[in-house]
Amino acid sequence: MSTSENKLTAILNAKAPYSNAAGKDALDIALIFGSFEQAISLFFQGDGVYQLMQGQNGTIISVKDYLKTFAAFEFYDIENIYLCQESLSQRKLSVDFHIEQVQVLAKTEFADKLAAHHTVLRF
Amino acid sequence: MPTLHIVRQSAFNSDDFAQCLQVLRNNDVIVFSDDGCYNLHHKLINTIDSKASIQLNVIDKHAQARAITIDESLYSIINMNDLVNLTLTTDRVITWQ
Repeated sequence: MSTSENKLTAILNAKAPYSNAAGKDALDIALIFGSFEQAISLFFQGDGVYQLMQGQNGTIISVKDYLKTFAAFEFYDIENIYLCQESLSQRKLSVDFHIEQVQVLAKTEFADKLAAHHTVLRF
Repeated sequence: MPTLHIVRQSAFNSDDFAQCLQVLRNNDVIVFSDDGCYNLHHKLINTIDSKASIQLNVIDKHAQARAITIDESLYSIINMNDLVNLTLTTDRVITWQ
């Protein structure tokens, strides 16, 4: 068992952005971890990959656009952002994200990276 | 370094089980709980590599209540106490719900 100093926490995002609060809740937790200088990694899988796609605008459908806050990840030292390549291709999406530091990983790499974390919170 | 995957949704209704299978690694443990028990008879279950040493478990009452038949040569039938023990013998837990 690892010591508490090197416990790593991951947030696994699996929902599209606007029809429920899952993505916003996950973002809030990520920023709280960042505020307290705790390491946190973000994973995007399934419909969660839609949260990262370029060109979205929630204000058109009167939803507060929390996705714009993703641009603040750098200031919170949130640098580990991983996306599942298979989920991307299943949805016929290409690599075109509204933030820069996204790492697109093949299925097994994505699984291995996730397994390198001690706690996984799924939204 | 096994992960315990608690699957609580039917694959007939949601993509959760498919996503679980995307990140499944050798020697991981799956527990089918709640509507997740319906996955025992979903075609996705056949995509699990038999050589990957995946432990498959079903919560007894959850399957019984839903009249789901269990092939005991493939699945271990467990109760809630066993589930708690599994959280202690694995390295991390991911709940798919």
